[in-house]
Amino acid sequence: MIRRYHVVAIPIRIVVNTFGDHNPNGMMYVLKENEQKVKDLVRKNPFTPVDLVEPLVIRANEGDFVEVLFENKLPFNTGIHFQEADYDVCDSDGAMVGFNKDSTAAPGECVLYKIHAVQGGNYFFSDLGNPSSTENGSSTNGLFGALVVQNRFSWWTDPVTGKPSNSGVYADIHHPFLPSFREYVWMFHDEMEVDDITGNRPINHITNQDEESFHGANYRYEPENRRSQLLSEGVVAPNAAGEEVHHDSWVFGDPSAPILRGYVGDPAKIRLFHGGSKETHVFHYHVHQWFSDPGDLASEIFDAQAISPQSHYTIEPLYGLGSLQGAFGDAIVHCHLYPHFAAGMWGMNRIFNTLQDGSQCYPNGVPIKALQPLPDRDPPPKPTKLRPGFPNFIPGKVGNKAPRPPLGIVGGRGLTELERHAAVPNPRPGAVFTEPCPPGVEVKEFNISVIELPITYNKQGWHDPKGRMYVLDEDLEDVCSGKKEPEPLVIHANANTCIKINYTNRLPHILDGDAFQLVTRTYENGFHIHFVKFDVLVCDGANVGWNYDSSVLPGETAQYSYFADVELKAWFFHDHLFPLSHQQHGVFGSGVIHPRFSTFLDPRTGDEVDHGTQVTVENPLIPNYRDFALFSQDFTLLFDNDGKPLNPPKFPGSQDDPGLFGVNYKNEPLQFRLGPDCDPAYSFSSHVHGDPVTPILRAYEGDPIRIRLLQGAQEESHSFNVHGLRWLKERGDLYSRLDSQQHTGISESFTLETFIPRAGDYLWAFETEEDLWNGLWGLIRAYAERVPDLIPLSDRPLPPKQSKPLPECTGHAPPADDPTCRPVKGPVRKFDIVAFQIPLQYNRYGDHDPHGIVFAHRADMKDLLAGKKTPEPLILRANVGDTVDVTLTSMLKLDLFPFKDGIYPYPQVKEQAFYPPSLRISLHPQLIDYDVKTSSGETVGFNGDQTVGPGESRTYRWFVDSQVGACGLWDMADIRNHKGHGAFGAFIAEPRFTEYVDPYSLKPVRSGANVILKNPLLPDIREFVLVMHDGVRLLDNDDQLIVDPVDGILLAPPEADADLVDTYDQGSRGFNYRSERLINRYREHPVLHELFSSNVFEDPATPVFESYVRDPVTIRLVTPAERRRSHTFHLHGHRWHFDAKDANSRVESFVGFSVAGAVRNLLLNGGAGSLAGNPGDYMYRSGNIRWDIEQGMWGIMRVHKTLQKHLPPLRE
Amino acid sequence: MDFQEMHMVNVRRDGAIIEHFRSNIGRKVFILTESFPFLYIGILKDVVDDMAVLDVEVSHVPALEEKEWHVHVHSIDVFYIETGMGEKIPDLKNQQKGG
Repeated sequence: MIRRYHVVAIPIRIVVNTFGDHNPNGMMYVLKENEQKVKDLVRKNPFTPVDLVEPLVIRANEGDFVEVLFENKLPFNTGIHFQEADYDVCDSDGAMVGFNKDSTAAPGECVLYKIHAVQGGNYFFSDLGNPSSTENGSSTNGLFGALVVQNRFSWWTDPVTGKPSNSGVYADIHHPFLPSFREYVWMFHDEMEVDDITGNRPINHITNQDEESFHGANYRYEPENRRSQLLSEGVVAPNAAGEEVHHDSWVFGDPSAPILRGYVGDPAKIRLFHGGSKETHVFHYHVHQWFSDPGDLASEIFDAQAISPQSHYTIEPLYGLGSLQGAFGDAIVHCHLYPHFAAGMWGMNRIFNTLQDGSQCYPNGVPIKALQPLPDRDPPPKPTKLRPGFPNFIPGKVGNKAPRPPLGIVGGRGLTELERHAAVPNPRPGAVFTEPCPPGVEVKEFNISVIELPITYNKQGWHDPKGRMYVLDEDLEDVCSGKKEPEPLVIHANANTCIKINYTNRLPHILDGDAFQLVTRTYENGFHIHFVKFDVLVCDGANVGWNYDSSVLPGETAQYSYFADVELKAWFFHDHLFPLSHQQHGVFGSGVIHPRFSTFLDPRTGDEVDHGTQVTVENPLIPNYRDFALFSQDFTLLFDNDGKPLNPPKFPGSQDDPGLFGVNYKNEPLQFRLGPDCDPAYSFSSHVHGDPVTPILRAYEGDPIRIRLLQGAQEESHSFNVHGLRWLKERGDLYSRLDSQQHTGISESFTLETFIPRAGDYLWAFETEEDLWNGLWGLIRAYAERVPDLIPLSDRPLPPKQSKPLPECTGHAPPADDPTCRPVKGPVRKFDIVAFQIPLQYNRYGDHDPHGIVFAHRADMKDLLAGKKTPEPLILRANVGDTVDVTLTSMLKLDLFPFKDGIYPYPQVKEQAFYPPSLRISLHPQLIDYDVKTSSGETVGFNGDQTVGPGESRTYRWFVDSQVGACGLWDMADIRNHKGHGAFGAFIAEPRFTEYVDPYSLKPVRSGANVILKNPLLPDIREFVLVMHDGVRLLDNDDQLIVDPVDGILLAPPEADADLVDTYDQGSRGFNYRSERLINRYREHPVLHELFSSNVFEDPATPVFESYVRDPVTIRLVTPAERRRSHTFHLHGHRWHFDAKDANSRVESFVGFSVAGAVRNLLLNGGAGSLAGNPGDYMYRSGNIRWDIEQGMWGIMRVHKTLQKHLPPLRE
Repeated sequence: MDFQEMHMVNVRRDGAIIEHFRSNIGRKVFILTESFPFLYIGILKDVVDDMAVLDVEVSHVPALEEKEWHVHVHSIDVFYIETGMGEKIPDLKNQQKGG
């Protein structure tokens, strides 16, 4: 059927909370039928939020054709670009790309978009008429929305009235034979302009400096700053400190932020979108878990999920609202990045246990809006005087902090009469209103305290004098006396265990002030947990909404209880009362729920244990394994040995990326691993510098391992890579693709399950440049022979007795074996590669890197240097079954490095230090198979030297044992001076028997980003390789440094300067050594909506990939370099399976988290032009409005309908 | 092509399992299946047509334990019957240490 909507883009004042904070220049899409109504309401309510002012959400059913008549009432051209949809790119793209005609609407004009909702799901839409990232742009001001496509034959009603609704973020969705469910749209967005009620920029009332920028959802946010102002002014709860009551409705009433309402057990879907422009957020939803891919029962289970700009997911909580245990109360929903959370990026899922017909009130007298029960479920009981239902049985006092839970605190109170009527039949500490533990299950008790003690992070004495951490009570003395090294607490238990925690708060009342922080009264804290089942009212370890405050004061002990129903990954625990103040000091840990019947052993002694970051696990049914937990940390507030603060913020209390980084309370900065030769090539070598202090994960050759990957603190994305090992992306799914990299955000948890094929030292690293520079790396050490302090796994053959001494630090570079001396079976491909310096031209406007470093075939070097060939990132290909011998020769020259003095000024990293350029270089591949001792392309641990000096050559031997497709290639000899200049490329592992030919000449090629794959068993396929990279140092035509992103900002405000930008945003960016920076085009022709047009300009400098309609196309996307800001990749008008290997995986049009080490293979569904076969120019681009698209991260995939002379068609 | 013949292998396989299971009624059995719930350990109570009737003592899903389950022999990928001749099936619930 055809659904028709008339959508208008209007300017609107967006009031984001009841404090009157507002965006005076807001913009929104609205249905024409609501346009006047919303304008009238806003005019009448200039200082309070108006419900109708919300991101536009419209709905359709799978298979529908949707016609949107779009009317533009903004003063510049705008449009609507729909993701996920099929449409004619020439007239419905909502943009003006390449040679397409303009499908934006001029001010006052209309345009008709026709799209086909081919499949159910989340169709994000936004504007591309004005791509400026500033307050003069459209996206940052709210011009985005969503089309939610339901199962066929669905209909939807308003959850309050039960009547049909045409738009809105909340709806109840019904179907003739599927269960009805609650649908909540949660649209994160960031960086929107916000003024306070006086029209000035908000000031933080504690620091008296600028408040954090807007971080919210659905045009709303509820900042801690605003709420705590009411405390300081004595309006409410004057004894509270601030952060601990930020989410407390007893103190403040409900927030303006979204409250998702339902009844216990209601099926629900949260349609999660990122409509914002810059940050990657972590969506966390208390109490609930969900499949990462709702249609794939073998997919990972999450309870925290990162999301990068212009991407989306469906969160379908397992067991419905309240989860398995049927919890009711307020489950907070928030971005887990603490500065964002405190800035106001949160809301709640309110789960009622009694019927709400509109006649009830909250404890503060505010009426509770009616909520229609879902028609196919029994309605909950009506409230009675004895059983008023949540929240009206809780003995709180409005204007004061929430009460403590009954029974929960040792020596605390019992139940009131109302509480007794609301409670389960046998209430007990930690399980009063819901009983999560079934009768008869084993109970495991842990006694845990939180303490403050100084923690030293490295051998140079970098330390956190106010470290705070969890510790088991039995270890208290040993940890405090220095007998035991502090490490994050990791407790272990089996599935089907009832866990009891006796939690004692041993922290001082005060967190003292210093260069990083102001004095804060962190007088209470709780133990908040993820993944396990619990009673949210009393056991959340938090203080949320109308729930109890389930934290404890100093000296008190709380009793919590949870049920671990099945094998879970590492569940995160942390404090929920003052995490912004002290989680970065170390207040985090994890519990791992192992398969039933497991036993946990100390890997050194074999003694049974129940905690530790490294344990050996025995199980009678599955192979035994080594279990390792790694926690990354940022905002780590460290001082050096002389007491100097390291990377302090501009003022104490600032959340502007203070401090450095850690992993398990340790770091091993590269600046201290130069040695007398000052050669960065050996920074990772234990031969030269000894082992790092960071964790060395120890095992024997062949051992199965599980790495529990978590992020303990605090705001930033990290990219975990293991060199030489790989794992199934979806651990429980044998159809899953292999991966060797994982993006993480705080509170996310991943289990990387694999085994160690050969003895040797494997590098693990959080591998963005700044993380690695500051020491976030370590080793996985696999021994070939028995060592005295590591028990063998009892179900594996005993390792042979030790025949030679273990290697030791000698201070000298090690020799390296030649891997090619051994014979191999099967085809061998040989590549002769040289690394040398050559200027790189990034576009026709003269933006260039005069100090480019490239890898190239030796045979091409002369032509490249003579300008007869243009440098491109090296792209090598081989087939499954091939042995690949890559001989690398360094031709680097010291004179051609820009900063021979060893200080690299821009792009920066935190804690800059002397690190002179290495003339050695190496080539490290991802995902394929090799012996790390000889062929990992890096000199790591006690492995041999695998870098080459000037004029030297060495050969790596790699085996293509699996059709992994795209793999990154990069240098590991000098991460500061090489990679940003282009020392990277890609390796593509193709199917057996594949030949690669040039798409224009049809001649065989040895490299290149654009080839045709010819295979006797497969159709001919066009393969386009995109190397997405950032951190580039460019000079302009006048040889002046381009300080991107700032220099590339369109309509930049006068106050924009490089100081406003995080270190990890610094540098230029693009694809394949090219960047089509829009600012260059804008200077030539200042018309915003025409900046992508090839009719107005030429084609962009970035690759233009050509094909014919319905040609099979595979895009190989690699991100070898290098900064920590993650990018989203989006290709207009096309979709692919999230996992190319798994036909059950979700289909989408974006790739999130493109950050150092990320790779993806995108097999375009329906081929070029998608299922409808529409020809035209399709833009590929970053989803980050701030700051990628302006800075040149875009290009074109051109789909021809008619035969072109220059482009031979694919073989039929 | 004789399709009857083609079916014979599967028919004979299932027939042999049924026969083997019948002759071991009352014994402890360990079964792995490709689909959920993957693992059963229990007493083989009966065989009805091509269904094995089990008193399930242990599965990796505790909620399925201490119940009678009917398992189609065709879905059995791996089995082991404790006959007294070979290894004993471990008593998982009682051997569990700590944790």
